Amino acid sequence: MNAGLACASGASLLMDYLEDALPADIRRDLESHVAGCPRCTAFVASYRETPRIVREASAVAMPPGLEASLLRFLRARRGN
Amino acid sequence: MAVPGAETSDEALAAQAAAGDEPAFEDLVIRYQARVFRLARRLTGDDGDAQDALQEAFLQVHRGLPSFRGEARFSTWLYRIATNAALMQRRARRRRPAESLEAYLPRFDAKGEHAATPAELHAPCRVEELLDRQILAEKARAGLERLPDLYREAFVLRDLEELPTSEVAEVLGLEPAAVRQRVHRARLMLRGYLGALTGVKP
Repeated sequence: MNAGLACASGASLLMDYLEDALPADIRRDLESHVAGCPRCTAFVASYRETPRIVREASAVAMPPGLEASLLRFLRARRGN
Repeated sequence: MAVPGAETSDEALAAQAAAGDEPAFEDLVIRYQARVFRLARRLTGDDGDAQDALQEAFLQVHRGLPSFRGEARFSTWLYRIATNAALMQRRARRRRPAESLEAYLPRFDAKGEHAATPAELHAPCRVEELLDRQILAEKARAGLERLPDLYREAFVLRDLEELPTSEVAEVLGLEPAAVRQRVHRARLMLRGYLGALTGVKP
């Protein structure tokens, strides 16, 4: 631990940090803590990777035929 | 009139569709159906539910268009309708309660330092090299399915559909800070869950 910030507080600030929603002084404290902490460096890397891994894994395409059946369904319902 | 070669804006198509122009409505359907299906699939975790939500969402859009006044962007309005339709489908199919992902939140010792080693903390980054692609996709979808609804909606819209936080806030009717808090919690749980797939504790 260094720069007066524990790993736990740093971890709780990551989303705000990545969205640039932290005050400048807290941002600096966080950056300096992470730079000197191998655990937090690894944690941040995996925190940043997580959304991409889940995004790629869940990127399903529309089943073939659904496009045509959706338009048919909507036309039929609108016709009522 | 539109610049030749430029795509007609969503809002212009919505105005035409609201005035009864059915081809304009179908243009909107064609433009957004794949995104709405993917969103619904991610929110419901089921192909059939996603298909029902897709149909229901566009029916509601068609009905609502005359009163859509353009206070929000068309896409924001559509995402709100689609998100709600997907959640209705999800709730209609009473599932057994999923085991919580809370156990995968990071652990800290009494001094607030990470309890795990750097290698353990890095484990979620390694799932792609350690797991077969299909198995990883299945497990990641299972993790998404196990997220509490509260966190899943915000996470899907922000991190999977990649809407800006401000737009997710508009879709869900939340403050941006609340969206960030929910997405953060979802990332923490899924991060630990992915790491655990490599045989490592969070």
